Amino acid sequence: MKKLKLGMLGAAVLGFTATAALADDYPERPINMIIPYGAGGATDISARTIAEPLGSAVGKPLVMANVTGAGGATGSVAVQNAKGDGYTMLFARVGSHSVNPAMKATLPYTLDDFRFVTVYEINPVACAVRVDSGIDSMDDLVAKVGEGGVSYSSSGVGSLLHLAGVMVLKEFGVENPLEQATHIPQKGGGAAATAVLNGTATFLCTNSSALASFVSNGQLKPILVTTAEPVAGFDAPTAADLGKPALHQLVGWTGIAGPDDLPDDVATKWGDWMATATKDEKFRGTMEARGSIIELMSPEDANVFIQGQYNTFRKLVDELGMRIEG
Amino acid sequence: MSFIDSLLAGLSLVGNFESFLALGIGVAIGVIGGAIPGLSATMAVALTLPFTFAMQPITGILLLLGVYKGGIFGGSIPAILIKTPGTPASSATVLDGYPLAEKGQAGKALGMALWASCTADVISNLSLILFAGWLASFALNFGPPEFFTLMLFSLTIIAGVSGESLLRGALSAMLGLLLATIGLDLIYGTNRFTFGDPNMMGGLNFIAVLIGLFAIPEILAMVWNPRSHDGTTRAIGKNWVTFSEYKKSFKSIVRGSFIGVFLGSIPGIGAAPSAFLSYSEARRTSPNKENFGKGEIEGVAASEAGNNGVAGATLIPLLALGVPGDVITAIIIGAFMIHGLQPGPMMFILNVDIIYGLFIGLIVSSVFLFLIGSVAIRGFKYVADIPRGVLFPAVLVLCVYGVFAVNNNIFDVGVMFAMGWVGFVMLRYRIPAAPFLIAFILGPLLEDNFRQAMLMSGSSPLILFRGPITWFFWTMTAITVVAIVHTGIRATRKGLDQHKENEE
Amino acid sequence: MHNRTIQVQLGIGAILASAFLLLIAIPNWVSSPSNVPNIILSPLFWPNTLAGLTGIVGLGLILTSIPAPKPVTEEASDVDDRAAAYFRLLAMAIIMALTMFALPRLGMVWTSMLAFASVALLIKTSHPKAALISAVVMPLVLYLFFAHVAGVAIPQGLFVRLP
Repeated sequence: MKKLKLGMLGAAVLGFTATAALADDYPERPINMIIPYGAGGATDISARTIAEPLGSAVGKPLVMANVTGAGGATGSVAVQNAKGDGYTMLFARVGSHSVNPAMKATLPYTLDDFRFVTVYEINPVACAVRVDSGIDSMDDLVAKVGEGGVSYSSSGVGSLLHLAGVMVLKEFGVENPLEQATHIPQKGGGAAATAVLNGTATFLCTNSSALASFVSNGQLKPILVTTAEPVAGFDAPTAADLGKPALHQLVGWTGIAGPDDLPDDVATKWGDWMATATKDEKFRGTMEARGSIIELMSPEDANVFIQGQYNTFRKLVDELGMRIEG
Repeated sequence: MSFIDSLLAGLSLVGNFESFLALGIGVAIGVIGGAIPGLSATMAVALTLPFTFAMQPITGILLLLGVYKGGIFGGSIPAILIKTPGTPASSATVLDGYPLAEKGQAGKALGMALWASCTADVISNLSLILFAGWLASFALNFGPPEFFTLMLFSLTIIAGVSGESLLRGALSAMLGLLLATIGLDLIYGTNRFTFGDPNMMGGLNFIAVLIGLFAIPEILAMVWNPRSHDGTTRAIGKNWVTFSEYKKSFKSIVRGSFIGVFLGSIPGIGAAPSAFLSYSEARRTSPNKENFGKGEIEGVAASEAGNNGVAGATLIPLLALGVPGDVITAIIIGAFMIHGLQPGPMMFILNVDIIYGLFIGLIVSSVFLFLIGSVAIRGFKYVADIPRGVLFPAVLVLCVYGVFAVNNNIFDVGVMFAMGWVGFVMLRYRIPAAPFLIAFILGPLLEDNFRQAMLMSGSSPLILFRGPITWFFWTMTAITVVAIVHTGIRATRKGLDQHKENEE
Repeated sequence: MHNRTIQVQLGIGAILASAFLLLIAIPNWVSSPSNVPNIILSPLFWPNTLAGLTGIVGLGLILTSIPAPKPVTEEASDVDDRAAAYFRLLAMAIIMALTMFALPRLGMVWTSMLAFASVALLIKTSHPKAALISAVVMPLVLYLFFAHVAGVAIPQGLFVRLP
């Protein structure tokens, strides 16, 4: 027993000297990559797809760990509290890092608690209704809101889907979307799409990848995509076509972040690795087949992009009094 | 294309060595993954997913389906041997499987679990092939009001697993319902009993609660009285399940399989409630009612049929609607999409060869499950021979690793320990644990669907009576409640009569 | 403990729990937004309903215990020495608390070894040698499996890292 303790003490000293000599030989051991959402979701698939080319660029294994709960908050906090040594990184997502901070006063973290090293994936957002709903365009939908009884589903309070439903209605001239349309939250993105499919809700706005199979199967009808460019497979006007450029901010994204005390040289290294990884043909192929747009941002660009989206969302939330205080 | 053409097209797609190899490896990974508490079928499928990216679509999907099916069966192995369900779906198997293992009949229980699983698997796969279109359109009629009434009906299962006292069962259920309220409110996103802790905001992890409630109290009971089992043998024995036992349980197995098919085809329920419903139905109709919960082989058969019956049927909403029925099929849908396949009605027209290839693969998977399951039982059964003084600390360590691995979170280990003490107190006070668990699963579904229905209707309760499905479940619930009250009164009277006779 | 005492104790416990929830826990620790249109949609509705039902179940437990037959003979205690048994439980609670404390600091492997050994010691295992060997081997094997086959980030601790 005593020997064991002595051994541990010795190892402890060694361990500390090892951590002191950071940066130059970073990474010298596997890196923990935390995915704050469950297996099979958009974040998970994106993360696991980039893990392969990224792992070879890093040269050390990336250990993927799903830490789910509270709309991405549980996993995000795990990284917020981790040491800023670059060995615990987060796959941040639009829900956990721009909608949630904008909507929830009770969130245990803010954007300042993280240092983004990149955003590498953009997902266009599309709004869809049931094929037999009698709604063919945004105008039809807005007219129906006037009649009352319109509802939209989401994957939960504070999700991109929640905010997107409100923001789209607001942009198309619905004065107070919170009062005039009903939000019916579901547990998860799959359930949200099902809710529109079985008539529980009237419409939903979510990542085009989550809707692609329903659209191509003729179960759901897209009525809007929020990007400037049209999305393949979605026969619907873009926000630019309809003259609503403000909706271009409404896109999904996936990025990588560390705790706020992440050193500069580590962030730089991540920038280089991501540049290599996103060039990978197989990665691009898989992601683009799912409807994602691969767009690599430098650490600075990523911060500007996320702050911009956060401010847009925050303004809307404050204007409508949507912020959750309790 | 005619049926035969489709079949041949499917056969040409799967009729090769790789497909069968993938299926076999999948089942093997699943059985082992399911047998390790905490790893669970879900984790096993998620871990296998990245390997399928590089394969042919059909091979990759068959591999995942193999893991899924193997995992659901594999979960019953630790449920029977060490009272720790490997996957949530096998929690009902604990009720009779573990008492059987205590009696030295672990081999028999495991054998029955395998036979029941395989039978249910075949029934479930056939239902998928024959009724997919019909069941899927039926499932789409399930909105929040229908779900609410179904959940209300399912809560009456609690009466069936309460054991000696209905009220103590109800108390246990209340505890489960209350603990399930921890976390963020679904409709408003506000905190409920979270104390601002981000770990609590996600709610208590289901597997941590499950393992804490079943496995840890056994360890604590051992600590309380280390010598209680001296002199009792717990060897696996030469007991193997006999064909006559299988025949006797056959009705329960078929019933359980169809319960599984029905609940599996409705998205959002999952295998655990199905296993409990099947178990409680078997108990209700059995002449050996008294023996349930004390080591009744039919109980094991019913639970395992109930959860494996779900496995094929969850593919119904997936293939026919493109809607994932549970977490595992949500992962499998990811595999479809990566290969550019879009599950849904069009897939039956555009990719009919893949659909039929999957059907053939599924049928074959039942055979693989039987063969690999038999081998696994032979391997794992020696666990029953390990002396308790070594086994119990080992179970503790295994649970720590397993519970951590579920969500990579040390907090969950703490939840497991805490629930262990709750479970131990419940054990001492003879409060059954099964109602707690059922309530913990169904409670959030009941509440969420109720409030979603209220949102839909603008708070008018009339929506809870829309359509024939709601009426059907209201009637079923009423009949069951009347029956429960009736038997309850009769049992109390009988007790009183006996009591009088004793005094006179 | 016999049936009747159990029923009464449980009943009282349930009523106390119900009162605690209704009066203290739910008002303080369940928050609800101020603009809820309808009482049944409030986040408070379900917890309050459950707390009320718990109280009713408690009442039922007490009421049904009244006509229950009195035990003819006292049930034999299941342990010889209750004080020692309670002491062992306390020790187990301490082991669990220490495990939670040590997991992020020592790492899962080393903590598990210590936990295994101490639990085996606590229950005075009949196979001390086998227990000791397993205490060392099992956490290592599990580590190998979870970390290298399943790809789980098993906590490594601050001191000795495993490959």
